Amino acid sequence: MARVLIADDASFMRQMIREIIEPEGHEVVGEATNGIEAVDLFNELSPDLVTMDIVMPKRSGIDAVKAILAEHPTACVVMCSALGQETLVMEALQAGARDFIVKPFKPDSVISTIAKMLEKSED
Amino acid sequence: MALDMAKYRQIFLEESTDHLEEISRALFDLEKEMANAEAIDTLFRMAHSIKSMAASLGYDAVADLSHRMEDRMEGVRADGRVRSQDELALLFRSLETLEAMVAAVAKDEEPPAADDELLSQLAADSSDPATTELASPDPVGGEPKKVFR
Repeated sequence: MARVLIADDASFMRQMIREIIEPEGHEVVGEATNGIEAVDLFNELSPDLVTMDIVMPKRSGIDAVKAILAEHPTACVVMCSALGQETLVMEALQAGARDFIVKPFKPDSVISTIAKMLEKSED
Repeated sequence: MALDMAKYRQIFLEESTDHLEEISRALFDLEKEMANAEAIDTLFRMAHSIKSMAASLGYDAVADLSHRMEDRMEGVRADGRVRSQDELALLFRSLETLEAMVAAVAKDEEPPAADDELLSQLAADSSDPATTELASPDPVGGEPKKVFR
């Protein structure tokens, strides 16, 4: 099971991800509400996995991913995107994000994506 | 697994009410300065956030309108400014419609669909002078500018 950092400026989305993943045994170790906090909390908490929203204030999720991966090349980051953000998702994947989940979240899809990423990380 | 959607409906009401207030403030800032980057960014992010929440709860009319606002603001952000007084008025109308939709949700009613004209104006190419007036005076002074893209 993983220690997870959730980065999203919307409390709605943070709570929803938490409610989906905690019953699976994952521990939410921190919540970031903007891209700067996401990078700071990653450095402080060293989570196994980050769920990263793309559109956030102060620093975008894309910039935050780039900053995290520059310091921690093996970091496991999954992007949270909405329909119409395909170009940004591609940019995040090229920057090193491992995968993405699409809003509105489907619990089973979120759970399986995270499980798949954690499996790969253990390989 | 099933989520407690009644809880999320309440969070939606609280957050979207805050977001609509932020959109309102941002629009008043843009009325004073059409190239106010912070206000443009705020409007884009708030529309995006409302869209995501509404889509999660199945409020299709809210998601559709906020999605079109977000797309419109993406163009505004790329250009660095609201491009005309007509465009600003269109955004104010969109805000009023979103406010009515959220008020309906608060009353446990189905949000009313936005009128087609508003949706099509939001989706219209802002470089088309037939749909959006681009020859607008700068509200903070200066000569009227003709913008071509």
